[in-house]
Amino acid sequence: MIDVRDVSRVYRRGVDQVHALEHVTLHIPAGRFVALMGPSGSGKSTLLNLLAGLDRPDTGEVVVAGQALAGLDEDGLAAWRARHVGLVFQFYNLLPVLTAVENVELPLLLTGLGRSERRRRAEIALAAVGLAERADHRPQQLSGGEQQRVAIARAIVTDPDLLVADEPTGDLDARSAVEILTLLRELNRAFEKTVVMVTHDPRAERFVDQVMRLDKGVLVDGGSA
Amino acid sequence: MTYPRLILRNLWRHPLRTVLTTLSIALSIFLVCAVLTLPGALEAVFAHWSSDVRITVHHKAGLTYWLPYAFLAKMRNLPHVAAVNHYSWFGGVYDEPKNMFPNFAVDPETVAQMWPDYGIDPAALERFRKIRNAALVGEQTMAKFGWRIGQEITLKGTVFPVDLTLRIVGVIPAASGNPVVLWFNYRYLSEAMEPRFGTALAGPTGVVGMIWLRADSPAHVGEIMRTVDALFRNSEAEVAAETEKSFIQSFTSTFEGLIRVVLAVGFLVVLAVVLIAANTSAMGVRERLPEIAVLKSLGFRRRPILAVLLAESTLQGLVGGVLGSAAAWVILGALNRAGRTAGGAFLGPLGSFHMSAGVAAEGVAVALVVGVVAGAVPAWNGARLNVVDALRRLF
Repeated sequence: MIDVRDVSRVYRRGVDQVHALEHVTLHIPAGRFVALMGPSGSGKSTLLNLLAGLDRPDTGEVVVAGQALAGLDEDGLAAWRARHVGLVFQFYNLLPVLTAVENVELPLLLTGLGRSERRRRAEIALAAVGLAERADHRPQQLSGGEQQRVAIARAIVTDPDLLVADEPTGDLDARSAVEILTLLRELNRAFEKTVVMVTHDPRAERFVDQVMRLDKGVLVDGGSA
Repeated sequence: MTYPRLILRNLWRHPLRTVLTTLSIALSIFLVCAVLTLPGALEAVFAHWSSDVRITVHHKAGLTYWLPYAFLAKMRNLPHVAAVNHYSWFGGVYDEPKNMFPNFAVDPETVAQMWPDYGIDPAALERFRKIRNAALVGEQTMAKFGWRIGQEITLKGTVFPVDLTLRIVGVIPAASGNPVVLWFNYRYLSEAMEPRFGTALAGPTGVVGMIWLRADSPAHVGEIMRTVDALFRNSEAEVAAETEKSFIQSFTSTFEGLIRVVLAVGFLVVLAVVLIAANTSAMGVRERLPEIAVLKSLGFRRRPILAVLLAESTLQGLVGGVLGSAAAWVILGALNRAGRTAGGAFLGPLGSFHMSAGVAAEGVAVALVVGVVAGAVPAWNGARLNVVDALRRLF
């Protein structure tokens, strides 16, 4: 499903160069639930961005679901993300002017689906995360855990091959964090979605198939899942 | 969820800000419509006030020079001249110097023939002919001084050293386009002045201010003017003949510079509103950078993001334009209607504004341009946001 081959990424911060990733190679088969862990600044989010097609490596190659991402231009990457990747952020990042179901429906604007079909699928996705009754609530009317569920529904509504989550429990209380981890696990198992999650949360280890650890931009554990 | 719904929701994110920005656009478009109406309004005034068969004849050296009374008889005999009248500026004031208004001594015998388009009551015209000290008064002047028909008023002469007591016998309707003037019998002035001058003004050695001619057809106006100019060339008083429209325009040509200034101010107002709207738009986009980054991460490309952001400012411009144009249409229309009434004198030139559908459309078009220009740069900056940089910076 995911092949990362000898990938390096360097950021320039003023006159300094930050080696966010150095010669990382890993393989994640389809249907796996993988946690990327490591201290702050270890390169977890950078690696996640590369897997999601949000960023490009300076060297090396990223292949996801048979697609070499280097061969796509910016618009091509955007279209690829819309079809193949579902994204979940730490701070949910729902549009405050839209209701829960409208937020979930948003990625479907990029498909050729009709209006009623878009709404139907959004309602199904919202029901899948247990928030069917909160469909018409605005984000500010929902708890943090509920907002993250809506964000997960938004991530899965296009039925992507890959679900990437950047610290999905980082802004949640303990109970909500467990609920979100459980939900991700269920989605991984029920729909055989490949899930890659960046997390600091040690509880996550109980829910995932494998933990990959990074330190100072180097993969130190679990390069092959 | 549809793109139009997303645009509307985004616009209504900060209702007060949206309303105020839209109203500022609307106000500027209202001003633009009023400014664009100004030249047309003046043109309409000229067209309305002037006849295509009336000709004015005045001294070539200027309006302050008198013409011999004897010229009237010569002009009556010219081919295609249907009527002849004359104007003599009396310069009378009512009660106190500030009450100066246009009052002229005319020939009451041919008022009906010369100004049939003024819509003066025939009975009033008949009284004007028969009563020696009769006066016809413009509707707005009647209203201004609270005069009524049958009332006697006294005008203190400033050009002629005599006070005249006049009896108001009729009204010159506001719809004539000449609603402030007062006319009285030239012979009455002549008789009043005769003891001082020792001769009648209305006589072989008398004078008049200017002469009015009425052609029997618009087709003969040019010919008459050429004939008149030629007839008195090298005479004791060379004359200049011109159409009534040209004559009126000569009084208002000094306004042309003012109109240009007003137009320039109008467009500066638009420019100021563009800057305000652009600032508001930029502020809105800056606040939404996290959302734009999320949209891009979800797979939205530059074009739909650019389109959504641009559509927001364009829609705001359109709504402001429609509101501004509609308000201008209603308010200028109401002023125009009020200006046609006797009580509308206080409106002055404002009462002459008549906004056309074309000006309304221009107002909406200007507002659309305001919306597009104001939103273009912020929308472009938002659309080309680097998603990784934005996510790293913002979250």
